[in-house]
Amino acid sequence: MIFKHLTACLGIGARGVIGALMVGAALLPGVAQAADPVTLTFRFNDPEQKEMRAALDAFEKANPGIKVNLERMAWKDARDQFLREAAVGETPDVVHIAFVWAKEMGEAGALAPLDALIKAKPPGKGLSDFIAMDLATGKNGKVYALPWTTDTWAMVYRTDLLDQAGVKTLPTTWDDLRQASRDVHAKTGKTGFGFPAGSASSGSLWFLANYNWWSNGKALIVEKDKTFSVGVDKADVVGTMNYFKSYLDNGDTPKSMLGVSDWADPVIIRGLADGTIAIGIMPPASFREAINAYTAANPGKAAPFKSGPVPKGTTVGTSHLGGRMLGISATSKHPEEAWKLVQFLNDPSIFTGAYKSQFPAQRSLLQSVDFGPELKGFAEQLTHARTWGPYAEGPYAMGSMWNLTGRAFGAALSGQTSVDAAAGDLLTQIGKLNAGR
Amino acid sequence: MRGDRLFITVMLGPALIILALFYLWPMVENLRVSFTDLTLLRLRVGGQWIGLANYEEFITSPETGRLMMNTFIWLTAISVAVRLLLGLAIALIVNTPLVRHLRLATLARIAILVPWATPPVVAIIIWRWLLEAPNGALNSVLLALGLIDTPIAFLADLRTVWPSVIAIVVWNTVPLIALSLLASLQAVPADLYEAAELDGATRSAKFWHITLPFLKPTIVVLGLTSVFWTFNNFVYVWLATGAGPGTFTNVLATEIYIRSFVDFRLGYGAAIGIVMALIMAVFGYFYFRMIGRRQIEEVL
Amino acid sequence: MTLTSAPLNRDPDVTSHWHRRMFGRPGRLFEPLLILAGLLAILFALVYPMVFILLGSFKTQGGLLASATAFTWANYITLFTGGFGRFLVNSLVICVAATALSTLVSVNAAYVFSRFRFRGKGLIFGSVLFGQMFPWIVLVNPLFILLTQAGFTNSYTGMIFCYTAISIPFSVYMLTGYLATVPRELDEAALIDGASRYQVVWRIVFPVLMPGIVSTATYAFMLCWTEYLFALAFLTKPAVQTLPIGLYQLFGDDRADWGAVMAASVVTTIPTLLLFLPLQARLSSGLTAGAVK
Repeated sequence: MIFKHLTACLGIGARGVIGALMVGAALLPGVAQAADPVTLTFRFNDPEQKEMRAALDAFEKANPGIKVNLERMAWKDARDQFLREAAVGETPDVVHIAFVWAKEMGEAGALAPLDALIKAKPPGKGLSDFIAMDLATGKNGKVYALPWTTDTWAMVYRTDLLDQAGVKTLPTTWDDLRQASRDVHAKTGKTGFGFPAGSASSGSLWFLANYNWWSNGKALIVEKDKTFSVGVDKADVVGTMNYFKSYLDNGDTPKSMLGVSDWADPVIIRGLADGTIAIGIMPPASFREAINAYTAANPGKAAPFKSGPVPKGTTVGTSHLGGRMLGISATSKHPEEAWKLVQFLNDPSIFTGAYKSQFPAQRSLLQSVDFGPELKGFAEQLTHARTWGPYAEGPYAMGSMWNLTGRAFGAALSGQTSVDAAAGDLLTQIGKLNAGR
Repeated sequence: MRGDRLFITVMLGPALIILALFYLWPMVENLRVSFTDLTLLRLRVGGQWIGLANYEEFITSPETGRLMMNTFIWLTAISVAVRLLLGLAIALIVNTPLVRHLRLATLARIAILVPWATPPVVAIIIWRWLLEAPNGALNSVLLALGLIDTPIAFLADLRTVWPSVIAIVVWNTVPLIALSLLASLQAVPADLYEAAELDGATRSAKFWHITLPFLKPTIVVLGLTSVFWTFNNFVYVWLATGAGPGTFTNVLATEIYIRSFVDFRLGYGAAIGIVMALIMAVFGYFYFRMIGRRQIEEVL
Repeated sequence: MTLTSAPLNRDPDVTSHWHRRMFGRPGRLFEPLLILAGLLAILFALVYPMVFILLGSFKTQGGLLASATAFTWANYITLFTGGFGRFLVNSLVICVAATALSTLVSVNAAYVFSRFRFRGKGLIFGSVLFGQMFPWIVLVNPLFILLTQAGFTNSYTGMIFCYTAISIPFSVYMLTGYLATVPRELDEAALIDGASRYQVVWRIVFPVLMPGIVSTATYAFMLCWTEYLFALAFLTKPAVQTLPIGLYQLFGDDRADWGAVMAASVVTTIPTLLLFLPLQARLSSGLTAGAVK
């Protein structure tokens, strides 16, 4: 009879049973779904929560009919969480996404096309002022998100260590970098190039590997006449793996870096701040952390830091144009109000006030950003950064490639497998991604 | 009896309804998904039925062997064994008359609680800092003692990564074992030892013939419950090593995560989940055959 | 005080026996020393990581980035002005409610399993336990869909039921074991005196079972308190999010405030410790009663 009861429950359907079950629990507090005027939910994933809240308060004041709730999702989980929510229509109205997510989320029906809204009320100085619009536009030509902020990676240096090691000019090629790292280690005993060599699914090796391929005129994914294919061969992969492995083998990058995947890992930030690491590669926000850590520990002293382009960065453009976009959920009940918020968030004052860790994605604003002397290298590199292009347009899923590349490099660098085997395996796996979608 | 029947329904009903909704239904749904090519991008439209293709791919994948090895041997068998041995050692030491005499037992029990009260997420963060090279506390100590000449990257070195992960798991979970065994030790009747002493039994004889048999049921129950928890655990490996270096510490649970939420292949992830549940069900069957049956018969 | 009433320190025979042994025979001093050294090593290993965090939480950037190590409350201030108190309250509400609900429901179910014979009982008992054997991670998506359809994402209610469900299997298992140690004669005597079955459960069995209930509830609480996979997916609004999620969010991608992370770790751990302290003597004696049987 228990079974009869059970099947009966299941038969009624989940909704009914939960509903009945929860009558007693209905008195427990939940999130109030206030119906008064219009309540938007804005999911903003960066750490400036307090500053952003203050900006939103100003927005609410200027738009009395709109209330904005702020929420945050860790970047690592933001992508799959939003897709999950979109499938059932339980989404925030405005979402903060990475450049390369816009297309897939739009095409999956999770983000609303913005064309009509843009046409009615163009943002900023018009759409052409925004960079990386190619990444925001789906195959059907519809715009699914508005680029909000941008950054790229650049090399960062401890000038005092470079001086001690006799490195006079900042490296401009991969070989220069190799030599500089070796010199620093040989002359000072410190870590030369302290790059994160860990193999987590969203690790940094993905960027380093691609920078290296790009500087050689290659790319993991290439496009020709709308046909996408793998653009590196085994020799390229082996070459790149061996290049980075040589740092670890020689010891100028310690083996412990194999356990560090994140570009903002405290090991790296602290290493730069306390002068045990001479050279790093990272986005500007992380570099600022290192400078801040140095200043906190050495008040009053000038920070001995410099940034510079990545190897061959300004000649062939070998860093990625990263950044964040703002999208409006396809299931938002208030797209017009949401668009109003998106426009507000693109106001120049936001980038000088609430949200300073990233640079605006509008060309006109980007020109007037004061990068300061330390971030000069980032400013220089940013004008030469390239978008992911075919990587994002083709049938190869970025997240999977990122994961596979990190794993393969991690396996090769740690000695889990031979470089040869890891390179071969990577190409096989990437090849399978094309068939899989 | 009609009254009993109503009573049973009322008493058992709520638990079964909650379990049916929050376990049975998702499990059935998961089983269905495992026969499809559902992806996260197509969650709204649903996947195509592809029969056993996901299972076939998983079973024939060259990765599967190592995944099984990592999950069974490293993550589960060794960590549970170490946990039990260490838990037993802690319990025995805390239970020695000397420690009781010096009134240190209460202090010890409070100390044992500390790791247990630490959520795994926190435990992993702390241990990552302690195991860090070159400045982590463990490296500093080992260097100062002259036991090593160069710092060891515990979570990055192929030789040390598994022992390190196991250390984290054990630190966080040994309190349960230690406290349970301590409680059992206290329940061993003192006259058993006295009788043995009169017979001139050595201390090791007393341990093997009195203490251990008395603890055995607890050890078996704790061991097997720990196996369930550890086998299915995703957090320790994922947050400590991200399944790296390379795929060196990848286990079944992290593989599910990578397939489902990095590659977006929900169908494939679901299939691995079903395989894991089946493995545990077989394991559970033998569990009840070996020790549970007696207990169930007595209890039920 | 509960702690000192533990049966540990009360064995004059054993104690004096050991006293004689320890101090009466020369040459055997190395053994007590060995035991004490072992004890100290173990205590240190168990407690040191938390001490490390506790100290770090009072330093700028947790002492990890800056070499400045002056004492500061700044991390805690940052944490609580950033809304971390909300997470603490949410965790408490959700975990206490889920623990209460799951314990209540499990006591009832365990009582039936322990006292009645009916068709399909073995199968049902086995199915309940099967819940322990399933990797939760594959349940995230189906459960998310279920909860959304019922309108219970971002609500205390949904999370409470979720956590109730994950703690039921273990609770039923443990409680059924404990109940076996409660003599059936107790029930029967009360029934003969004219009490109803419900009265037997709540007035007679419940008080006797209290130590078992306390320890089972503690496990359930710990399970909820430390859970983060479901919370991550089902709770996206700060108004309802729990401590593990709040903690997890402190790691930005480009930067993280390590001092705040440490302070948050302390704040996350302390409540459980406070909860345990008064319970621990009872906990360890009640814990294995069922299992040992």
